[in-house]
Amino acid sequence: MVHLEKLNKQYRTRSGDIKALDDVSLHVKEGELVVVRGPSGSGKTTLLLSIGGMLRPTKGQVIVDNNDIYSLSNKERARFRAENIGFVFQMFHLVPYLNIFENVLLSSGIGTKQKRQKEAEELLKRLNLSDRLYHKPSELSAGEKQRTAIARALINQPKIILADEPTGNLDPEKSEQIIGYLEEFHQAGGIVIVVTHGKLVDQYTDRIIYLKNGQI
Amino acid sequence: MKIFQLILREIIHRKLNSLLSLLAIVTAVALFVSFFTTGQASKRETTRLMRNIGFNLRIIPKETDIEKFWITGYSEYSMPENYVYKLASHEGLSYAHLTATLQKKVTWRMREIILTGIAPEVSPPGKQKTPMIFSIEQGTVYIGFALARHFGLKNYDLIDIFGKPFTIKQCLSESGSEDDIRIFGHLHDVQDILNMGNQINEIKALHCLCVVEDSNINSLSILREQLAGVLPDTKVILISSIASAREKQRMMSEKYFGFIIPFLIVVCMAWIGVLALLNVRERRHEIGIMRALGYGSYKIAYLFLGKAVVIGLIGAVIGFGIGTGLALKYGPDIFKVTANAINPMFKLLYWAVIASPAFCALSAFIPAMIAVAQDPALILREE
Repeated sequence: MVHLEKLNKQYRTRSGDIKALDDVSLHVKEGELVVVRGPSGSGKTTLLLSIGGMLRPTKGQVIVDNNDIYSLSNKERARFRAENIGFVFQMFHLVPYLNIFENVLLSSGIGTKQKRQKEAEELLKRLNLSDRLYHKPSELSAGEKQRTAIARALINQPKIILADEPTGNLDPEKSEQIIGYLEEFHQAGGIVIVVTHGKLVDQYTDRIIYLKNGQI
Repeated sequence: MKIFQLILREIIHRKLNSLLSLLAIVTAVALFVSFFTTGQASKRETTRLMRNIGFNLRIIPKETDIEKFWITGYSEYSMPENYVYKLASHEGLSYAHLTATLQKKVTWRMREIILTGIAPEVSPPGKQKTPMIFSIEQGTVYIGFALARHFGLKNYDLIDIFGKPFTIKQCLSESGSEDDIRIFGHLHDVQDILNMGNQINEIKALHCLCVVEDSNINSLSILREQLAGVLPDTKVILISSIASAREKQRMMSEKYFGFIIPFLIVVCMAWIGVLALLNVRERRHEIGIMRALGYGSYKIAYLFLGKAVVIGLIGAVIGFGIGTGLALKYGPDIFKVTANAINPMFKLLYWAVIASPAFCALSAFIPAMIAVAQDPALILREE
């Protein structure tokens, strides 16, 4: 489960402080798919990154799977993130000099090299990328890149997937495919928190949260 | 995936950045190696030349009339023999191969000869070197070519010189100089013959020339100053030679070397640093996603410092090869060193493979720390 307790995040800028999150409290149960919507600059990505242990809040607590993640050391938090949280971004963020197979294996995970390689192969096969294993990201379509990013997010069998506009760069057909994979993970009992403007995910969602000026 | 594999893949992927970094380090190593190799060769060559030319310093009694000295070839005055030991034991002097001599024109068997007594070479403390001249045992003599031919003398003949018996150790070959009418003997024997116990009239020495680093300073004035402090009742004559000209050229090139190398190091460090910084900027999203995937600060730092070390290692090997090639090909023309004197200095390769990666890592240190300090949240929010 994910529990946010009075989460505040302020950014200091030259023209003054900006409140990206303002006393946000939220509870997401296991196996829940939550959609976060809101206008640009409303704090959606800040919320996602805070949940993912990437952005320390100014105030408040983030509890993931009974761990107050910001009370962990940097090293412990990095490990926790690698083992429990998968990220999917709009821009894919694949490493350009690694092939698809290596990109999926990039995350530091548990298990032997052979076991991880087998899992990566199976995962890529499931995502219809088995004929693209040794291709570089520059040789792939946007949909294939996003499927690779999903494979990378899933390789460590995380408990949570945090997706920031995962279909923002895809056509409707590819978007449907990507949402399908997220739904598959959701159906398997994982938590999915997805920031999106698209409506495709609405049919699977358990809850839609609207953020405005950093408040739910 | 292992960090080293990531480093190699990235180097191959971002060819331009990697090649420009490599170029910087290859340039630095190659220039250093070529300058150093030719500089050392030049030094060796000058030493060899000076040894071939012989002693270039003549220390004689102060009251010597220089005009007479040049006419007769030696001083008519004498000085105590222990001057040579006094001079040798004085630290900080730029002399080597000190030899005390006593020479005088005498008439022997109705002919004018130069009787020359030579003492074994004395080395200053810590400067023990191979003697430049032959050592003469007491009771033996070396006979100049003209004298040997005139008197029909042969090696191991027994001769009498002013009532003292001597064995001819060797009849010398023709030298084309006054040496052809000399009889060389041990200093103490010649002192006995001339009745000049413990007296000498010249100290011959080799000036290493290395103390005069400023070409504007007259090396002779430094020598005279040094000598005045130790042996005030002597004077010194420096015989200029091609070796001194070459030595001056070497010192001049060392002076340039002293300026160019630090300048080159700073430029190359800045060059590598800027390229590493550009690399960090280009890889912002990669850093962001690696952080999201659980890569810690030290792994991110390894990515950048490791790349610098790998490039430094490759650069050291290539730079050494190019630098040595440049020294062998162009060194003799630029530094007027005979080609045979320039040899590859493999110990420089050893130093290059240690120093060059360290130098690259140092140059990439600030960019690596910038990469570590990057806030992944800020990067990943940039969509």
